[in-house]
Amino acid sequence: MSESLAESVKAAPMPLVNEAAPAAPATASPATQPLLELVNVWKRFGEAPRQTVAVSSVNLKIEPGEFVTLVGPSGCGKSTLFNMIAGLLAPDSDGSVLFGGAAQRDGQLLGKVSFMPQRDLLFPWRTVLDNAILALEVEGVPRRQARERAEAMLPEFGLGGFGKHYPHQLSGGMRQRVALMRTFLFERDLLLLDEPFGALDALTRTRMQQWLLDLWTKHRRTVLFITHDIDEAIYLGDRVLVMTARPGTVKSEQRIALERPRDPAIVTSPGFVAIKRHLLDEIEEESRKSFLQEERQA
Amino acid sequence: MSTAATGISMAAGARAFLRSPLFAALALALVWELAVQAFRISPRYLPALSAVLRDAWSIWPQLLASFNRTLLETLLGFAAGAAFGCLCGITFSYVRLMERAVFPLFVVSQTVPVVAFGALIVIWFGNSLLAKVVTAFFLTFFPVTVNTLHGLASCDPQRIALMRSFGAKGPTMFFKLALPSALPQILVGLRLGIGLSLVGSIVGEWFGETLGLGVMLIEAMNSDQIVRIWVVIVACGLMGALLYSALTLIERKIIWWRAEA
Repeated sequence: MSESLAESVKAAPMPLVNEAAPAAPATASPATQPLLELVNVWKRFGEAPRQTVAVSSVNLKIEPGEFVTLVGPSGCGKSTLFNMIAGLLAPDSDGSVLFGGAAQRDGQLLGKVSFMPQRDLLFPWRTVLDNAILALEVEGVPRRQARERAEAMLPEFGLGGFGKHYPHQLSGGMRQRVALMRTFLFERDLLLLDEPFGALDALTRTRMQQWLLDLWTKHRRTVLFITHDIDEAIYLGDRVLVMTARPGTVKSEQRIALERPRDPAIVTSPGFVAIKRHLLDEIEEESRKSFLQEERQA
Repeated sequence: MSTAATGISMAAGARAFLRSPLFAALALALVWELAVQAFRISPRYLPALSAVLRDAWSIWPQLLASFNRTLLETLLGFAAGAAFGCLCGITFSYVRLMERAVFPLFVVSQTVPVVAFGALIVIWFGNSLLAKVVTAFFLTFFPVTVNTLHGLASCDPQRIALMRSFGAKGPTMFFKLALPSALPQILVGLRLGIGLSLVGSIVGEWFGETLGLGVMLIEAMNSDQIVRIWVVIVACGLMGALLYSALTLIERKIIWWRAEA
């Protein structure tokens, strides 16, 4: 497959690397097949004269076990892209989404990707435990068995003793952890997280990020994580993809060779700051462009 | 001379009582009684509550039997209307064609005065319990249909997307997401329906029956027994309050999350 790919995802400049950084874990051995591959993916809404292009010519590749973050300004089509990867939205016919090497037609991706949207979307009539096992129930796992599995995972998600609580009794951070647990229990190779910590306060968010990294280190699931927070993108990711606004496309990628496990204090290290400056420049350039574009249209 | 309010009013129990509907009812009864006596209102316009209660007591067995009969008609009509309304709401929300075709007929059916319908129902179903149940049903199913339809239609699209991403389809989607999230709205329909169902059974009784609050009402009107009319009004109010609060209790049981969400 794929003549177009390797080139289209531009190999990013790599001078900003931390000392003794080991090769990014578990990723990028070129022999393995990418878990997810987007080839020239477009999404246009509406008809010709008034058409809006939400996503244009996105090419990307995610290796098994990789933690990839996608950062971009608001309104750049991140969520549209995510919905396509989750199988909720069909990409336009000129591109394709490959999962485990196989092209996915309309809706075929449904049920193959663990998808976690921005809002926690917990069901208020279900307890923490029953919210967590929602996906398992949909899959047809007997409720009792599903509950046992979830019960065992509660402490790991910082929810020990809260299994019988209802969502309205929990803090924002806890609700988000329940949503994450629900996503985790839907055991699929690819975790798709759409700004899961966007609504949390800064301190809670930092804790949740650390905790997510711990979890990832332990379970080694492949993660694609959307955010508009550059720090978050760098702190979490093996690679950061930068998305441009209108029409949204992946402009560049940046391999983050910061050592793992990463300490939250890493955000002040020179290596981190250098990466951040570089990414900021790119994003700044993009948002200026889209700002000008908007002015011209006005 | 009066009930609570004094002395123990600091106690939390008393305060809870002051805020309860029971207190409001007692207060209204008191105002009624006192106002009639203070302003010497002619019993033709408004008989004193005590007079109404005395009259009720004098016909107690008949009143109780009528009450029970009307309650039975109301409940049966309500149950049938609620079930049919839910079913129609669900059908309409999943089969657009049915909504387009049948829903306008429902609307038209509701613009026909139930009284006009009552005569027909008697012709069709005779002088039976069924005839009253049908009039009660006729008034109940519409608000239930509308609210069920609305509740199902306003299901959060992001939650639907989430369920789809888990691979959920048809019945799973309905029972795990659509129905529970529509329940609060369905209950709104039921609450509207229960009052209308009572009206339906009373109107139904006007077209021929020997027992029931509606019958008592017609008889009292024909023989110009003003106090008796008030007896029936109070009895109907009591039944309505009873049904409504029973429904509220059920609502709290099955959609407790609404209150805190």
